[in-house]
Amino acid sequence: MFHLLGGVFLGWSLGANDGANVFGTAVSSRMLRFWTAAVLGSVFVIIGAILSGQAGIETLKGLTTLGLEQAVISSVAAAVTVTIMTILGLPVSTSQAVVGTILGIGILNDQLNLSGVGKVVVCWIGTPTGAAIIAILLYHILGILYNQLSLNIFTSDICLRLGLVAAGSYGAYALGANNVANVTAVFVGAGLLNVFYAALIGGLSIALGILTFSRPVMETVGRRLVRMDPFSAFIVVLSLAVTVHIYALIGVPVSTSQAVIGGVLGIGIVKGVRTVSRQTLRNILIGWFLTPVIACFLALAFDFVIHLHYIPGKFLF
Amino acid sequence: MFRFLFKKENRVESLIYDYLDTLKLTQDNFSEALTVCLVEPQCEDFLFLIEQTHKFESKADDIREEIKSMMYEKVLIPESRGDIMGLLDEIDKIPHLFESILYLVQTQKLTIPDFIVLDIKDIVRISLECCELLVRQVVALFKKTEGIRALVATIDTNESHCDHIERRIITKVFDSDLDPFMKLQIKELISKIGDISDQADRVSKRINIINMKRRV
Repeated sequence: MFHLLGGVFLGWSLGANDGANVFGTAVSSRMLRFWTAAVLGSVFVIIGAILSGQAGIETLKGLTTLGLEQAVISSVAAAVTVTIMTILGLPVSTSQAVVGTILGIGILNDQLNLSGVGKVVVCWIGTPTGAAIIAILLYHILGILYNQLSLNIFTSDICLRLGLVAAGSYGAYALGANNVANVTAVFVGAGLLNVFYAALIGGLSIALGILTFSRPVMETVGRRLVRMDPFSAFIVVLSLAVTVHIYALIGVPVSTSQAVIGGVLGIGIVKGVRTVSRQTLRNILIGWFLTPVIACFLALAFDFVIHLHYIPGKFLF
Repeated sequence: MFRFLFKKENRVESLIYDYLDTLKLTQDNFSEALTVCLVEPQCEDFLFLIEQTHKFESKADDIREEIKSMMYEKVLIPESRGDIMGLLDEIDKIPHLFESILYLVQTQKLTIPDFIVLDIKDIVRISLECCELLVRQVVALFKKTEGIRALVATIDTNESHCDHIERRIITKVFDSDLDPFMKLQIKELISKIGDISDQADRVSKRINIINMKRRV
């Protein structure tokens, strides 16, 4: 079980960061109390992981075959990559880091499912673009409904707050369903866990991250979206949830951060304003390229370091 | 359907209606005080009605403060919170105007010259009509009944009418043989009465913007 600590750490950091994408808007704008958001987020992440997390676990498990030691290397390398990218200030995707490390180990083992890798990469590109398209569609459809209802300020506020809670809970469910594979899929491949326990432990570790460390991230990340009007913020969270859930059903772990940026971009297209700066878009592209590459090299490097052996008598001066 | 879960919001809504009722009482007392003053300046009834106006103006202030305190307790979405607090601050300038007009008449011991009494009754009537329409507009905003735009147009027309009467009265005053000091006093009074419709018009346009920006 000690081997699982790397995965649990990765899940914890994923929960702390990605919980903010789901409930950041509502919490930082004081529409929802942190603890309400954290409890709802944690509960729905666990439910999502258990009920719909299997597909992603199967996909990642199928990319290559890992031994237990390599599974631990993969988790730790992914966690280190996420940390490096965070320090560099680039938008980081845990999913891309994990896939990068699995690829690294796969190269090392000379066992790589290239069709699986292709599917994953296509989905990465599809995440922000899909979220943008879904945001545009939802904005138009729900916007017509919202205008038809002709609500007064108080009722409209209550509806938007309940909508944000519902969309956030759905987003947390989708996060659990989609991202649990990042946390524990390698241990299923290594034979340490079965799919159910992988989903349960992964879900619990993400929930732990949301409960213990997502507050500062929510306060910071959420402010990006607070400048939007409440209806647009609701659409962004809902488009994130729908997009991530679709990829959970397909079985490919994707980044909620990229889904949020896609949603914000979609709102910008609808309103004819620039909601995402060129620098953010450039950083996403750099992040897309760098995250899996760094993760892959780190996994290779860690594996190399672990297999170094001291041979007595070899050091001659 | 879920309104019972949002007790603070319900309380704020009910306080806003209380505020509007108090505004109406302030307005009624102001109107009565001016009517009495035009017949018999500085009489006891006038002084009593000034006190009543002040009492209701203070009560309106208290209600507004209570609403603000509740708002600071994170009632509503920040955007709506800002809209409502800004709106109440602007509306609250109207009862302040009522009070300051009556104090001006009382402290400067003003007597309205007969040749402008009818015009003053006219401008006060139209200004108060603007306030009544404004209250209807606020209720329409909170209850989402139709007709906010139509009310903006009516208030705007009334405000233009008030401006016209205001200019007419001031011209009459300065064409008259009144003491120059009194002319300035009357001018100040008429300008203050004119401010009521101006303020009502400003608030009315603000309500229209609040209503429009909530549409997707």
